[in-house]
Amino acid sequence: MSAGMRPAALPMSPQDMIAKIIPGDELEKLSSSVLQSGAAMPPSLSPVSGAAAGTGFDGFLGHMVSEVSAKQADAGAAMREVMSGGAMPLHQAMIAVEEASVSFQLMVEVRNRLLESYQELMRMQV
Amino acid sequence: MINILPGIESTSAALQAERVRMAVASQNIAHANTTRGIDGKPYQRQSVVFESVMAKTEASFNGVSPQKVQVSRIEKDTSGPRMIYNPSHPDADNAGMVAMPNINIHQEMADMIVSSRAYEANLAVVRNARSMALQTLNIGKR
Repeated sequence: MSAGMRPAALPMSPQDMIAKIIPGDELEKLSSSVLQSGAAMPPSLSPVSGAAAGTGFDGFLGHMVSEVSAKQADAGAAMREVMSGGAMPLHQAMIAVEEASVSFQLMVEVRNRLLESYQELMRMQV
Repeated sequence: MINILPGIESTSAALQAERVRMAVASQNIAHANTTRGIDGKPYQRQSVVFESVMAKTEASFNGVSPQKVQVSRIEKDTSGPRMIYNPSHPDADNAGMVAMPNINIHQEMADMIVSSRAYEANLAVVRNARSMALQTLNIGKR
């Protein structure tokens, strides 16, 4: 088995998905340009005036995505250990999978609300 | 880490403890007729003792940290063996009596039922915790 091969049964984490769609250096450029555009805004308009970069809402969102990703990685590792006959008991693996699924749904819900409010704003009459 | 399923840590520990109890009950049933254990004597019935420990978590109910259950020890039942008359048995003594393990299969079956019901109850906790979380997420749906 080649080292780079990923077992087909394992779900891909959101970060992996993003990394697959956008290559690493591109992602770096993109996020730095986003940060710069935020810094270029006048202080009254910037979303998190005075707060350091990464602690605002974007930082919170990023933290949430990485948390969900970590939970999914945990669930994948637990399931792999169960399947390979490791010491991991079945119920713990199932609970890990369940936690990953519920927290993923929480993330999707937050995303839906954000998108909804954005569309609400776009529909606004001027 | 976000705590998405409430009280899942003690439930998980309880499931683990019940698994151990089930394993010990099945071992007792498997050895119901073992006249020669690893020490050469008839197998002795084993039973599980549970204890509660403090959970290592930052989550707490009003400052009281949750307690988990775990198996503290597995004890041997030291009551004497069951003597049955079977002169043809290789382990029979001069009088033709064979020392059988001190296991009552009915008691083991009852223990197994208790253990499996307790496991079921803990699984119901997991199910309910999950459905509570999902119902809370449904606040956002319209």
